[in-house]
Amino acid sequence: MLWRFSYRELLGHPLRSSLVVLGVSVATAMMISMLMLGAGIGRSFAELLVARGYTLRVSPRGTLPLETRATLSDIELLSLDLLGQAEVAGVAPALAANLLLRPTAGVASADPQGSRVFALGIDPDEQGVYRLVDGQAPRGVGEVVIGSELASEGFDVGDGMKLDRPGDFASPASGDDYEIVGVAQFVYTSKGERPIAMRLDDLQALTLRADAASFLMIRLHPGIDPTAAAERLRTMFPQAEIASVAELVARAEARLSYFRQMALVLGAVSLFVAVLLVGTLMSVSINDRYGSIAALRAIGFSRQSLVTAFASEGLVLCVVAGFLGLGLGLMVAGYLDSVLSDFPGLPLAVEFFVLEPGDLGTGYLTLVLAGLLATLVPAWRAASLDIAKTLHREEP
Amino acid sequence: MDVHRSYRLQASTVEAVRGVTMQVDSGDFLAISGSSGSGKSTLLHLLGGLDTPTRGEVFLAGARVRDLGDRQLARHRLLNVGFVFQRFHLLSMLSARENVELPLSEAGVGRRERRERAAHLLERVGLARRANHRPGELSGGERQRVAVARALANEPHVLLADEPTGELDRANSEAILELFASLNEEGLALVVATHDMHLAEGARRRLELIDGRLDG
Repeated sequence: MLWRFSYRELLGHPLRSSLVVLGVSVATAMMISMLMLGAGIGRSFAELLVARGYTLRVSPRGTLPLETRATLSDIELLSLDLLGQAEVAGVAPALAANLLLRPTAGVASADPQGSRVFALGIDPDEQGVYRLVDGQAPRGVGEVVIGSELASEGFDVGDGMKLDRPGDFASPASGDDYEIVGVAQFVYTSKGERPIAMRLDDLQALTLRADAASFLMIRLHPGIDPTAAAERLRTMFPQAEIASVAELVARAEARLSYFRQMALVLGAVSLFVAVLLVGTLMSVSINDRYGSIAALRAIGFSRQSLVTAFASEGLVLCVVAGFLGLGLGLMVAGYLDSVLSDFPGLPLAVEFFVLEPGDLGTGYLTLVLAGLLATLVPAWRAASLDIAKTLHREEP
Repeated sequence: MDVHRSYRLQASTVEAVRGVTMQVDSGDFLAISGSSGSGKSTLLHLLGGLDTPTRGEVFLAGARVRDLGDRQLARHRLLNVGFVFQRFHLLSMLSARENVELPLSEAGVGRRERRERAAHLLERVGLARRANHRPGELSGGERQRVAVARALANEPHVLLADEPTGELDRANSEAILELFASLNEEGLALVVATHDMHLAEGARRRLELIDGRLDG
């Protein structure tokens, strides 16, 4: 019966209740976003790195893959040595280089000298840098696959393109001719990059970097622990940096610890704001009803009954506001993710805000419990008031 | 018995009730009169177990108030004492019927029985047709009658009323007095703190408080 009094009290002050629900929703949205950001970067990065099952990376000593322009040399021999190890099932070398795409007939170009493309030289039968969406892999000499960015500019399977080394501005007509044989979705492309892929030896020849690769990706036999394998391979190949995806994620997370700390602090502040809002509203609302509370105590209501009734008011506010906050948080996270994905040099596939139902549930429950606690303080204070003194004050 | 109640008010001590000894029996209709600040409300609160004496003892149905815990006292008030206040203290968000049902729900009475008893009590105080109206839609006299119905909900042994006609006009005061008299005739004990002489004269017994002491 008393709960009816409590809920009607909330409905009886629609502006006050709505403002609190709105405030708590916004705070919840912030908290949920920060929770998604804090946990999301590492998970998303790990998913990106294990794409297509390559769980180890080999890069030049002292660097991370694609971190610098440094390359591994003698990679044919290195690949064969690696393939000779019992745990290694496959080795995929990749050479990265910026190339100049000369103006092509039939395709609009803003720069008459040409424009940059990001080229990856790969072994078409053992690669983990793209997923083919149209056409075929570049198995022949002079064949390339292009990313969706170039496809959207008008290039298509069967078209030709002229590629050159950057800095070679001698003549817009210079460069070698390539044929587009496929369109692919590239895994490690950053915002604004226009990726293409060709045979490794083709790119090595074009960039004058024979038998070199920027990094190697290693696929292990099923059941092999990547971290243990990386540790063993490191001792055998000290000239290279060999790391498992888990180790790379750990290194990346260490570098991104600023984001995590920021997320933690902002999430905690949001929760605190939500608790303050609920606590303030409930204090104001309960203080307004001191006369009624004293009368209810006088006619025999126990402290527990009153605290339960008031706590249910706070609970309703938090449940409703938390629910709205979840939706708002997902929208905010989506927007911020699109903003942060524009960071130069970051693969587009990296998501800063990753939706994890478990995290959302934890955040929601934390809010509801914190809100409930914020309600209990003024509720218990009111239920413990001096009945006679309060009635004296209320009666003329 | 020899009940004292004093309050600290800033630097001084106010003796609201000084050495009062009195007894309320079943079937009593007792009016406690006195000027404002004479200690009427404090004495009523002591009788109802809302307050504890600074000195002396209050017994409620044989139990010493000082020995009862908060939960037991609340239960005692719920089942044995009915309270009526000058300002009614009805819950504005609930209808008259729901206000009357409140003490019944706290006592654990089932929904159906609550409804029946509330309807009966509202009929008893002449407000059957106003059962679904909220306090804001009722006159002062009607609100006080709803408050009386609420006080009677759990069939208490005694009804304590603090200035029940203080906010009412002459006609409504008269109606409340008639209601009290008829309840008393049915065997309910009533203690009314009032400075309404007409109401005090309607009681079977009158006590006057002067500066916290019983006169005569």
